[in-house]
Amino acid sequence: MNVRIGYLYRDLMNIYGDDGNVLALIQRCRWRGIAVEVQDLALGEPIVPGRHDIFFMGGGQDREQVLVCKDLADVKGEAIKREIEDGAAALVICGGYQLFGKFYRPFDSDELPGIGVFDAYTVAGDTRFIGNVVAKSALGGKSGVIVGFENHSGKTHLGERCNPLGMVTVGHGNNGEDRTEGAVHMGAVGTYLHGSLLPKNPGVADFLIERALARRGHVPLRPLDDTIELTAQEVAIARARKTH
Amino acid sequence: MRFRTRLALAIGKIIGASSRLLNIGGGSTLPGRVARRMYPGFVPSMVSGLPLGCALVTGTNGKTTTATLLASILDRAGLTPVHNRTGANLMAGIASALIRESNLSGRLAARIGLFEVDEAALPAAVVDASPRLVLVNNLFRDQLDRYGELDTLAKKMKTAINGMDPAATVALNADDPLVASIGYGLEQKVVYYGIEAAGRYASATMQHAADSKHCAECGAPLEYEYYLFGHMGRYRCTSCGRERPRPDVFATDLEMAGMNGTRCNVHYPGGSTAVSIPLPGLYNVYNILGAMAAGLALEVDPDIITGAVEEFTAAFGRVERVETGDRKILMILAKNPAGFNEVIRTLMTEPGRKDVLLALNDNIADGRDVSWIWDVDFEMFRGRLLNVVCSGIRGWDMALRVKYSELQQQSLTIETDLEKALDFALDKVVPGGTLYMVPTYTAMLDLRRIMVKRGLVTPYWEG
Repeated sequence: MNVRIGYLYRDLMNIYGDDGNVLALIQRCRWRGIAVEVQDLALGEPIVPGRHDIFFMGGGQDREQVLVCKDLADVKGEAIKREIEDGAAALVICGGYQLFGKFYRPFDSDELPGIGVFDAYTVAGDTRFIGNVVAKSALGGKSGVIVGFENHSGKTHLGERCNPLGMVTVGHGNNGEDRTEGAVHMGAVGTYLHGSLLPKNPGVADFLIERALARRGHVPLRPLDDTIELTAQEVAIARARKTH
Repeated sequence: MRFRTRLALAIGKIIGASSRLLNIGGGSTLPGRVARRMYPGFVPSMVSGLPLGCALVTGTNGKTTTATLLASILDRAGLTPVHNRTGANLMAGIASALIRESNLSGRLAARIGLFEVDEAALPAAVVDASPRLVLVNNLFRDQLDRYGELDTLAKKMKTAINGMDPAATVALNADDPLVASIGYGLEQKVVYYGIEAAGRYASATMQHAADSKHCAECGAPLEYEYYLFGHMGRYRCTSCGRERPRPDVFATDLEMAGMNGTRCNVHYPGGSTAVSIPLPGLYNVYNILGAMAAGLALEVDPDIITGAVEEFTAAFGRVERVETGDRKILMILAKNPAGFNEVIRTLMTEPGRKDVLLALNDNIADGRDVSWIWDVDFEMFRGRLLNVVCSGIRGWDMALRVKYSELQQQSLTIETDLEKALDFALDKVVPGGTLYMVPTYTAMLDLRRIMVKRGLVTPYWEG
């Protein structure tokens, strides 16, 4: 049994400690006796169908996002979308999340097309949403809640065919208006939450791993001792409420 | 002196004295904040009384160490600096330093101003202080939630510096591509400093916590002949040909001796000198080079500069050595991935396994977002740790980081209360051994407060 992670644009889209998500996936597999392989998917690298079980993409600066957008349009985008429809999992954060929607419209430059995995679009806003976030989420495991830190000026709006990752009780979420945070479509999870997201939200990590394995017909995961994870989550939630 | 200045000064002094009397802190920002609120022209008015003008020190890592060393250099040279010593580096901190050092009629005993300035506050500080010298040491990702992007920050700094008096000087770290780019096309005199002939300290691969991988001029990727620390090294643009400028002040023949510091030769226009730097790590070599370059630009004699470097003990909180009973404590501040990596790297050059206390806070001064700990290469600690105690407000996040890194430590304990954590950690250290503490900024202040209470160090406002 093994899990193969496709790490999209590691050198370009990795400014925010989001690497911790890949580490969390790797360890949570290994601690269950599941072997893990990580392959870097850089600019120009094509996607081989069925070759990856979980795709990951972090956030980046504007300049990097433009380069990535082009590569997704020219090289990888369609293939990734087919993989997700075929049952592959994905976790995409911030800038990566925006590019998995239909488009990103900045203030005063050309619209960046996304790959349309999520029925969602993003528009540049005039305020930055920065701060701790707590959201009720079906992927929140025992606590039913996820916690993280947002820092974005893009406002993402979800269409009818797209469910949010959660509903915020602290923080702004996707657009500061409808209390949604993130997006989920089949095995793909998009979010604005840094933290990193997965270490403190093991429910989301295990959802991704389960999806990855389910595609090849494997059994459900055995639980891990998440005492530290859940305590860290509790502390972060209390901190979010206090510093809100 | 204008009446408004005198009034703001008087009120500032009263506030400063009261906070010291009531023991609610050393008055390192409140007096200045109030004075500037009363009179926005307070700082320009006060610095106009300094016969030798002002020097500003900024950068992500090493501001306080560099500024404190430069203060010591200027002091030895008889230039009597007024310095915002306690690291209060926003405009309120600068104003508070001026209030503290002047008498009631506004006369400063100082001849030159030497201010450490937060990167985001540099533009305002340049306008208010009209400096004759600005030193930019490095630009790293720090406090992700405070600043937007590094490129934007560098542009703002460059615009501010461009607006300075043409006779002013800018001292820039040549090995940091984004910092070096500030010097391109400037009217002012630019002094570059850096490390040459790094020998075995040069690495072919870039560390995890690196930023600035593209050319500031044209946006194309940079190519490196070698890396020294983070994104510092010898670089060239793959497209427009811009490359690392030749430094005017540079270090060669480095011999690094772990926590005991570094020996090297420092070359400058007109000469060179052997230097023993008493602080650990490559990052401190840059801090010292920056201070030396600035001192030379301010026309201080090289012998005086070298003397100051060799006798330098780090600014409070940055590197603190303390003895308690038959054990030692070594506390080193870490604020961001690049800095933390250097601390770990330097600690690991010393043989043996270590007892460590990692203290993570998320107050505003530390940065509310703790995501950055996942960009620190804790894996360098693997197999080298005995007892690990994770503390601070976000001690549990730090414990998660340790757990996921699989460091194979002897024990992992989580205790968010710093005083309890300190006692617990010390207790586990064998007699004669050392506890290594690596806190973020406000956790360092709290740990310091605890150690002051026990008489192990002097209170910071006396230091």
